[in-house]
Amino acid sequence: MQQVIFTKDLYYTYGNGKRKVEALKGVDLSVNNGEIFGFIGPNGAGKTTTIKLLLGILIPKKGELTLFGESPAKPKTRQTVGYMPEIADYYKYLTPVELLIMYGNIFGINKNLLHKRIKKLLELVDLEEAANRLMRTFSKGMMQKVSFAQALINDPDLLILDEPMGGLDPVSRKRMREIIQDLRAKGKTIFFSSHELSEVELVSDRIGILHKGHLLAVGPAKDLLGGKEEGQSLESYFLKMIREGI
Amino acid sequence: MRAVWAIACGMIKELIRKKDFYVLLIFMLVLLGFLSYQNFFQIEGISRYVRDFGYSLLMFFSFIIAVTFTAKQLPSEIEARTIYPLLSKPLSRHTVILGKFCGGVMVSVVSFTIFYAIFVGFYMTGGEGKSLVLLGQGFIFGILFLCMISALVMFFSNFMTMSANVTLTFLLYLTIGGFSNSLRGIVFFSKGIIATLYGVLYYLLPHLEFFDLRIRITHAWDPLPMWVVLSVSGYTFFYCLALLYFAGYVFGRKRF
Repeated sequence: MQQVIFTKDLYYTYGNGKRKVEALKGVDLSVNNGEIFGFIGPNGAGKTTTIKLLLGILIPKKGELTLFGESPAKPKTRQTVGYMPEIADYYKYLTPVELLIMYGNIFGINKNLLHKRIKKLLELVDLEEAANRLMRTFSKGMMQKVSFAQALINDPDLLILDEPMGGLDPVSRKRMREIIQDLRAKGKTIFFSSHELSEVELVSDRIGILHKGHLLAVGPAKDLLGGKEEGQSLESYFLKMIREGI
Repeated sequence: MRAVWAIACGMIKELIRKKDFYVLLIFMLVLLGFLSYQNFFQIEGISRYVRDFGYSLLMFFSFIIAVTFTAKQLPSEIEARTIYPLLSKPLSRHTVILGKFCGGVMVSVVSFTIFYAIFVGFYMTGGEGKSLVLLGQGFIFGILFLCMISALVMFFSNFMTMSANVTLTFLLYLTIGGFSNSLRGIVFFSKGIIATLYGVLYYLLPHLEFFDLRIRITHAWDPLPMWVVLSVSGYTFFYCLALLYFAGYVFGRKRF
């Protein structure tokens, strides 16, 4: 199976000297094609840093990192990557359609295809009615939907989602889960970080637990929980790992 | 180029939907209308004041739009966190800078063209001495000036906050003409290393005074020779290129 994400001894620090903060301390990770990988960890564990490294926004201080066998720092590598940030207050004076056209043009998508795709995406995230409204009138949940739609504009092979369920109502969460599973069925790879452990457990094929820059455990939820007393949830396992990790 | 155009178009749409531009447009129309009303009574020499004031006003308003729109581009992307989805796209950091610069230039050139059309209307209907060639040169120099301002602001955006950026550019706009003249005098009268240092400083500074055709247009002097227009265009091109290259380089090293 093709490795979509590969990291070896990935290391990243912020600042220098006394102000140096070690965000990642030798993370080894591999995510395969067509897999949903849930990335969990407490605040400050290094999840967002990992995502920024995967997107080429940050450059590793040490270690190896490839997406589809190439460095994400090369713009070309990001042609087949979609990214949904945790929080983004998209351009208030644009409409969702205009935002998607802007991003679609950056990807160099053909005009006809782009318009068809925008229509389809707005239907997918239930935003057809607000398609031509300025985004300054949007709620947080609606912004999340726009954010999800923009991450799919290039029909990416790898989708990186940072806290995708934040700000969504239960109906929208369920819809988002279904979309993520549909995407996996189409052979897409999904890497997502979340604090919502139940959501992660529900959709992920494998889970990685990150704590203080170390990857404490990786594997399918049932394997991670296997051998433990019956009825143990991912949440209790996660809390136990974090306590032991300290 | 499609990516640069896509980023720039977003800025144009923002200009159209924001009120800032319309406020400046109405303000300019009111002021010029009031001054030309004075002209109606044929007060001697008033048409020159209308031209002088109108030209200064249109340059100043276009400057304000260029500075404020360009200065907020990077800080607002960072503040709204839209910088992350933008940088996750298949774009180099230089392309992002170029897109923002082109957006700033387009926004200010659109505004400048509208302001200039109003000014030309007043210029052609009153006063003596009219030169279409000179008006054309004024238009070209206005665009070059706005390119220079947008490139400067884009460059400063990497190092300072939006308000500091606007303040510094505003100070440069107000003082550079006088300062350049003084510096040229020092270079001329000093010797040795001091003359070299001041000479380097003189050539490093952006010479915004090159673009000022206010007196020439007010008094309807002869148009500039072609070699001057070409030299100033070349100067602007290379100065902007250097600024944008360094802006892209610094932006590329930034960690968000």
